[in-house]
Amino acid sequence: MMAVVAEAPDIDLAAVLDGPPRDHNRSRVSLVGRILLYVVLVIAAALVLLPFYWMVASSLKTNNEVFTVPVQWWPSVPQWENYVTIWVKSDMLTWLKNTLFLSVVVTALQVFTGSFAAYGFSKTRFPGRDVLFLAYIGTIAVPWQSYMIPQFILFSKLGLSNTLWSIVALQAFGAFGVFLMKQYFDTIPEELSEAARLDGLSEFGIYRRIMMPLSVPAIASLTLLMFVTTWNDFLGPLVYLRSPDLWTIQLGLRTFISQYNAEYALIMTGSVLSVLPILIVFLLGQRYFLEGIATSGMKG
Amino acid sequence: MSESSVAIARPTGAVGTRGPLRRLWLRNALQGWGFILPNFVGFALLTMVPVVTLFYYAFTSWNAFGKAKFTGVENFVRMWNDGSFWTALWNTVYYTAFHIPLTLVVSLGLALLLNRRIRGLAFFRTAAFFPYITSIVAIAVVWNTLFSPDYGPINQFLRAIGIDNPPGWTASATWSMPAVIIVGTWREMGYYMLLFLAGLQTVPRELYEAARVDGANRWQQFWGVTLPMLRPTTFFVTVMLTIGSFKVFDLILVMTEGGPGQSTLVLSQYIYQKGFYENDFGYASAVSIVLFAICIAVTVIQFLYNKRKDA
Amino acid sequence: MRRFPLMMATAAVTFALALSSCGGGESSGDGSEATGTLTLAGWSLASTPEFQTLADAFNATDPKYKVEVKEYQDGNNYDTQMVADLAAGTAPDIYVQKNLKNFYTYQDGEQLLDVSDVATELSDETGGLDAYEVDGKTWAIPYRQDAWVIFYNKDLFAKAGVAEPDGTWTWDDYVTAAEQLTAALGADGAQGAYQHSWQSVVQGFALAQTPGADLLSGDFSYLTPYYERSLALADAGAMPDYGTVTTNKLTYQAQFGKQKAALLPMGTWYIATLIAQQASGDADAFEWGIAPAPQYDESTTGTDNVPVTFADPTGLGINPALDEDKVQTAKDFLAFAAGPDGAKAMAGIGITPALTSDDVVDTFFATDGAPTDELSKFAFSTHEVKPENPVSEHTAAIQNLLNETHSAILSKSVTVDEGIADAEQRAQDEVLNK
Repeated sequence: MMAVVAEAPDIDLAAVLDGPPRDHNRSRVSLVGRILLYVVLVIAAALVLLPFYWMVASSLKTNNEVFTVPVQWWPSVPQWENYVTIWVKSDMLTWLKNTLFLSVVVTALQVFTGSFAAYGFSKTRFPGRDVLFLAYIGTIAVPWQSYMIPQFILFSKLGLSNTLWSIVALQAFGAFGVFLMKQYFDTIPEELSEAARLDGLSEFGIYRRIMMPLSVPAIASLTLLMFVTTWNDFLGPLVYLRSPDLWTIQLGLRTFISQYNAEYALIMTGSVLSVLPILIVFLLGQRYFLEGIATSGMKG
Repeated sequence: MSESSVAIARPTGAVGTRGPLRRLWLRNALQGWGFILPNFVGFALLTMVPVVTLFYYAFTSWNAFGKAKFTGVENFVRMWNDGSFWTALWNTVYYTAFHIPLTLVVSLGLALLLNRRIRGLAFFRTAAFFPYITSIVAIAVVWNTLFSPDYGPINQFLRAIGIDNPPGWTASATWSMPAVIIVGTWREMGYYMLLFLAGLQTVPRELYEAARVDGANRWQQFWGVTLPMLRPTTFFVTVMLTIGSFKVFDLILVMTEGGPGQSTLVLSQYIYQKGFYENDFGYASAVSIVLFAICIAVTVIQFLYNKRKDA
Repeated sequence: MRRFPLMMATAAVTFALALSSCGGGESSGDGSEATGTLTLAGWSLASTPEFQTLADAFNATDPKYKVEVKEYQDGNNYDTQMVADLAAGTAPDIYVQKNLKNFYTYQDGEQLLDVSDVATELSDETGGLDAYEVDGKTWAIPYRQDAWVIFYNKDLFAKAGVAEPDGTWTWDDYVTAAEQLTAALGADGAQGAYQHSWQSVVQGFALAQTPGADLLSGDFSYLTPYYERSLALADAGAMPDYGTVTTNKLTYQAQFGKQKAALLPMGTWYIATLIAQQASGDADAFEWGIAPAPQYDESTTGTDNVPVTFADPTGLGINPALDEDKVQTAKDFLAFAAGPDGAKAMAGIGITPALTSDDVVDTFFATDGAPTDELSKFAFSTHEVKPENPVSEHTAAIQNLLNETHSAILSKSVTVDEGIADAEQRAQDEVLNK
């Protein structure tokens, strides 16, 4: 279903099991090992995908078929029309649009300001740097539920609440991206920067011409994780967004829950639909984790 | 800032007079801040300010409306005598102590396994990441079904291999926490795998070649090359994982709602209860401060340890 | 302190308006031009039509200010959002009191306007009005008063050959019937009863019905017989046990609507849902009715008595930040919602209004798909409804710890006696004497 990017020709997975070449039996052993490994991988993948499968099956059920004993793995009569109903009955298009806007803006800002600040923390030295860095990490350690109200009051005074910008403000300047990028820059040898400085490159030049190109895998993982986090965030939009035309997909799906009832099948339909964009982003992004692309030209 | 290309070399302390050193110091500071500022402005105003107010509210009685009443250390005295707080703290430590090492090992293992060119790579990587993007409600339902004491496949399997009294998992006070730990690890392994995958790209191939020439086997290469080169990433993952584990919230909410009894009640949930159910935001802030202090203490230890290894 | 500038602004605006209206003289007399709007909080409007229905019905009376509904996401998170909005001064003018646990939060936090004058004008039959009284004043007005009753599947009773409820049941009769039904229906995969995992199902009845029971006394021994019966029912296989209900996230709508249970203790809000689900095919087509909740003992059973049950009223309160000249319209809205016109509007969409006069009951049961028997009407209109959450400073904290006791006992992590002893200890240590 998803083996779109799998074009890599040389299968040396078996090397994980049997190490470097030693004798003639290698190919036979490695063939058995390879098959065994694939069997294990496929079973593991099936187990991991089971909840997603349940989501898909439930999206085709009627509301009262979703939660049952024993669990029903396939609907008695698949309700394909759920996938039509959800577009007609709700404002999916607006929700998707808002969510996409937020995910893109938040991710872009986080990657840009985060990597920029990370360069400051990683490659320049000044007094108080480590303390400031700890303060960054420290804020991650405070549970959001506890400062939600003071922050909400502050945002309201800034005129941000009930606008999409409130979510941007909430997410875009977090410490996560700074921390991630800083750790990655730390692995890039100082000699590279020194050489560039001797060549007359400015600090900004080093950041842009050397650090950024070398950090593609880190930027890819930051992008993916931020995108998914923003896409699936519930509590942030819940607290800040009120007008229905600002709702994100996670908020919108909750409108199928009233005080005592819920349209579980439609919630699952919406959830399946909301996974698809993430899937596309993931399939595009994961190509940047291929061994060796970042390190070419670098000596340890 | 852009013209300072040569003089940036760190102050070595060995040469130079006071004057130039001082200017260098100033320039370094300016440069550092120049990079940090765009993020810092947003961060300080939007996050740091509210967080700092929390430290004030922890010493007050506050119901979210109007003015907070200063009560000194009253909240902390109350916490000391609050059995539920200690239960929640203990449960949080329990979760953390198992969740961190398990997730570290599993996600690093996955990253190593999926960092090579194999057929269907994209599929397996996506599959590993799927638990993190699947709706958390679906996860709770399916895992609870698997764990179901009487009809669940897990217990049927355990009975089949001769265990007569398999655990009650999420329906029992003794086994609910292990069950939640398993699901927590399963859910987050793909997330941390991604971070490890990024880190693995920085390990130069030449090092492996050199190690191979020296006769190191795969295992020795892993300990001698991969792990040391991966240390900044491991540090990052460990810190994020530690804080994430101490703050675990929504997973437990959908899996067990803290039950049965108080068997999976954790601090984040306790804070939410005290704040939004009981409208006791002063006390909730005080508990948050304690949670914060624990996280920071653990992080600083990791930070110092990491620094020492760096030097 | 935070609201100070806002209050200043409000005062200034009010003052300015007062000045200008002095000059205006009679002009406010003709109501043809609406001078503005009042906002009303509601949630999940698509599936919860009651707020819009009330607003529309009220607006049709041509008030000075039109009521406009402001939508919140869903009932479960409504209070989180409302607390934030009130704290920041961005809350709507009129907002719903979902239950009494949160009502205390708002009342104690001075987020409700005194509406005693509205209360005195209302009919004595308005259910749940007393619950909103604190310090001799009324702070919210109930427009909806659900009550817990028993839903039963007439087809399954007939099939099993068990006598239908007749209004004389105590809880022991309920247990006996559930076991008989299970014995007769077990082969078809149906059980006698379904009790949802909520603490209300056990504790709500115990608190309302047991003579002398008091949530705030810290003595919870009144819960014991109710827990023993629930455990016994599950052990006998007459209903799914707690572990099965929670781990499989069972829903009462599916258990009763798909005929997997013949008896269901539930609130009257389920009537409208069941009718809708039978019409849409989500629930099976079968004959059903409602009966009074089983009673603690025989002193309150029978249709010549008033059965005791529980539920929190749902009310409307006014945000004190409201402009002074709008207050009267807001109060008119509250009176309208709780009065006969509001009640009829509610009954028309299957909601149990706080005022259940005869013609309201007739409107309610005139809905297509509603049961028509006399016992259902009796169960719907006649009962003494006690609040699930008696209003006090300690209610929320005690209910939270009793919720933990509930799951501990029903999952058999502790015995009934251990669980209750522990709850009593914790109530003393952590709440009452903290």
